[in-house]
Amino acid sequence: MYLVEADGAVAERGGTQTAPAPRPSDRWESFPPSRLSHHGKACCDIAREWVVGMDFAQLNGGDLTSGPRWLREKYKWGPSPWPIHWCEAVKRKTIDCGAHAALALEAFTARGLTAFPAQLVQKYSEDSTEQWRGKWAEEDVSCHWLDGEHIYHEVTALQVGEDEVKIWDASAGSWINPRQAGGYGSLVAIRIVADGQWGGGDGLRWGERRIKPGLWVQI
Amino acid sequence: MKIYVSGLYSGGNPQPGVGIVRSLRQGYPDATLIGVEYNNRVSGIHWNELDDLWVQRPWDEINLEAYADKVRSALDEGGLWISGSDLEAMWLASVFPGGHPNLLAPPAGAMKRIAKPAVEAHRGLPVKIPTYVSTDLPDWELHAFCRAHNWRVWLKGPYYDAARTPSWDVFVAARAALTKVWSTERLFLQAHVSGYEESVMLAAYQGELLSCVSMRKRDVTAEGKTWAGDISAVDPAFEATLRQMVKALNWTGGGELEMVRDPSDQLWLLEMNPRFPAWVHGATIGGHNLPATLVEGATGVPARKTEVQASEFTRVVLEVPVRDDYPLPPLPEPFAGAVGHSMKHPSGLTSLAKRLHKSNPELLEIVADDGPAADGKAEVPESFLADIASYDLASVETPQFLYFETTAAGLFKRAADRAHRLGTNEVEVVSGYSIKTNPDERLIRLALDNGFYGECISLLEVHKALEVGFRPDQIILNGPAKWWPEGMMPKERMHAVFCDSVADLERCVAAMERGDMSSKHVGIRIRTPNVVSRFGIPLDSPDTFAKLIDAVGRLPSDTAFGVHFHMASSTIGVAGWWHLFESMMKWCRSIEKLTGRTIQILDMGGGWFPDDWHSDDESKFAKAVETVKAMLPGVRQIVSEPGKAMAQPSMALAMRILEIQEHEEDHVEAVVDASIAELPMYAFQPHRILRQCGETGALQPLGRGKTHLMGRLCMEHDIVASNVSLPEGTRAGDVLIFCDAGGYDRSMSYVFGRG
Repeated sequence: MYLVEADGAVAERGGTQTAPAPRPSDRWESFPPSRLSHHGKACCDIAREWVVGMDFAQLNGGDLTSGPRWLREKYKWGPSPWPIHWCEAVKRKTIDCGAHAALALEAFTARGLTAFPAQLVQKYSEDSTEQWRGKWAEEDVSCHWLDGEHIYHEVTALQVGEDEVKIWDASAGSWINPRQAGGYGSLVAIRIVADGQWGGGDGLRWGERRIKPGLWVQI
Repeated sequence: MKIYVSGLYSGGNPQPGVGIVRSLRQGYPDATLIGVEYNNRVSGIHWNELDDLWVQRPWDEINLEAYADKVRSALDEGGLWISGSDLEAMWLASVFPGGHPNLLAPPAGAMKRIAKPAVEAHRGLPVKIPTYVSTDLPDWELHAFCRAHNWRVWLKGPYYDAARTPSWDVFVAARAALTKVWSTERLFLQAHVSGYEESVMLAAYQGELLSCVSMRKRDVTAEGKTWAGDISAVDPAFEATLRQMVKALNWTGGGELEMVRDPSDQLWLLEMNPRFPAWVHGATIGGHNLPATLVEGATGVPARKTEVQASEFTRVVLEVPVRDDYPLPPLPEPFAGAVGHSMKHPSGLTSLAKRLHKSNPELLEIVADDGPAADGKAEVPESFLADIASYDLASVETPQFLYFETTAAGLFKRAADRAHRLGTNEVEVVSGYSIKTNPDERLIRLALDNGFYGECISLLEVHKALEVGFRPDQIILNGPAKWWPEGMMPKERMHAVFCDSVADLERCVAAMERGDMSSKHVGIRIRTPNVVSRFGIPLDSPDTFAKLIDAVGRLPSDTAFGVHFHMASSTIGVAGWWHLFESMMKWCRSIEKLTGRTIQILDMGGGWFPDDWHSDDESKFAKAVETVKAMLPGVRQIVSEPGKAMAQPSMALAMRILEIQEHEEDHVEAVVDASIAELPMYAFQPHRILRQCGETGALQPLGRGKTHLMGRLCMEHDIVASNVSLPEGTRAGDVLIFCDAGGYDRSMSYVFGRG
């Protein structure tokens, strides 16, 4: 997403004494998932074709639903400036979770699979977020994704059954564990950006949970 | 209550004994727990929750009969026994074939039915067994298995140990090592399954499933052993079938099903262990105390309730005090000149395996579904035998390559016929003969006569092909040294030139502009992005891809454009090659889209093992043609280059035995007059070997055995074949024929040790 757009989408904490207690995801209520920009020229066409070609090559004959593990190998997780175009993103050594997730979404989709952008709020610690704040500031990149001990993170939901998804964290190179709750690095809330009445209106199944598309679901 | 617990080894690949003890202590705080071990070096004997120790002499020393009596007495006196070692459990099963009420380990019948790799008992469970073959098959077939599974295979012993064997030389070395360690020739090769590992642990008594629990590995050691995991209930459907299996096996004791869940959610059973796993106490932390449940089931004495502490567990490294009465033994001196101390299997489990093999070979054999044990003798094609019969071997000066005229003619005709069948009105399919695989004129002529194009990597090869009769417009020139030697580039129009680098492309473009080179098709070779290669224009970064796109734009527009990709399927595996093909089609489509150039010729192949190429199944090749038509509709010609598949079967190497040396334990070293100078591929592929009987002239295939065929060179690594058996009556002067030597063995053979 564009930096200006992202900063503008961050909700300020506030409210009155009678309002319900704020949820960690409130800060990112209006946050859209990130997307890579396209110059409309050959430079971005080449970049996109390269990602799709490389993703298939890296499968090595493995199952199409395997996570695109190579993205994390090729691109370290870290600050990246926004807006970012295809031709810029693919040439960087470091990209953030929004760019990782956007590339993973493209890879899954190009394989002929159905995938959706997904957003997470995760809990770490103030020490960790301070470290990240410093690192992002060094690169002069917005820290809108940090809030106390919570962070905003972007991932990719891959449809694996009629209405079932697995959640691929391209920045970590692993699938998110649907069983875990609480503690350092745990999932606090999730939102899957998808259209349609999945699961007869109950939402997409992720582990034992149902996630209604477009809504932040607190874990 | 007195409970004996064995398997206390607590190194990097631990046994479950200490975990069992910790869990039992929670369930039965007042029980007397006695640790059983066979070496005082095993660190688990110092665990402070053990009340007493029963340390026996190592398995290579112990009197098994006397020890069996002692164990029987301990059980008869009311002691319970939980084995933490597969081999000990097997030995106990042989001592108590029908079980003992206090022996909490499976009976002999159950042991047999969980033997690796078939794990016969798995039927009914929602699992599959990864494909495997027994290593008593001929090397020729084992090599085929490895190729078919992209060399992602494991060589496994019957009880413990597994080695990744990504190439033939590694396989041969690992087979020799495992055979020696575990005293058996019957190992098995199993296809690797990618996925996440998980296990189901169970406790049962006399056929009744008492409890089971599931664990997913969340952290692993370098050896792939569990370091952390999460615990959950077993899926009810799985549990129902497991209950039936336990009943059918009349299982008693702990057990573990080790599995892999692949990306499509399919479970693959790797093995079933006749004991609790080393992570047993991790499950107790998760509220599933199976050792206590087992004891409760066997005795009826209620165990203390186990509280759930967490659903996940991890290991840490702990230092514990050493018991005064079992001081640490001295550390063995390293062998002179060696690095480190050999500490594997301190209790002598390998010796136990050897002893059990002698006393009860059937119990310890691997159980495979692939039929009775083979003798390692490969089937030799009839055409080979006919071609050999055309030689008077008695008068053949050795070492000498024998040309298989009938075989070669058949191979070229078959390839030509297939190409013709696969072609359509829109797309012509032709074959290319890679001159470098064997520049023998007879083979080049066969290629010409069968409508092949000549694939050349140097101007010397081009001239060789022209001398034999190829026209320039039947020549395809590629490789990084296409200008070598200087001044030999034909002026006439060639069929195709493929550029190996951007620099090569620029040189070719300039040469064509000057009129120094002419070709109907000019294209690029693209480097395989996921397989290490030094050839072609790379695609491995967006920048290099952009350069490739830019370079294609500089190719002359009055020549037809083409793409060439080669990778040895024998190296990356057959399935791997077909994935590469699919991947390359996608890259080609991208190149067309981004450059606006239409690909008209596609040259693909390289390094096919003959059996894979000449297989009767044409469907994959036919499908490939359809894929090309669908993805690259501008392609008018597909050049299929099978590489060594044409040359390799077309020659054999005849050699004579110079001397036979017999050594201890049936080991034989036979010196031959050939060497690795004539068989440079000896480390990369097996050869089917025949011996001509000196008396009858009959050709006898060599099977597996303890003979090494040593080359004539005074070079330590000059061993042309290992672990073969010479037919009875073999003597110095007999002729051996190494088939499958017509490819790189022939073309890369060199003069050495001839003065």
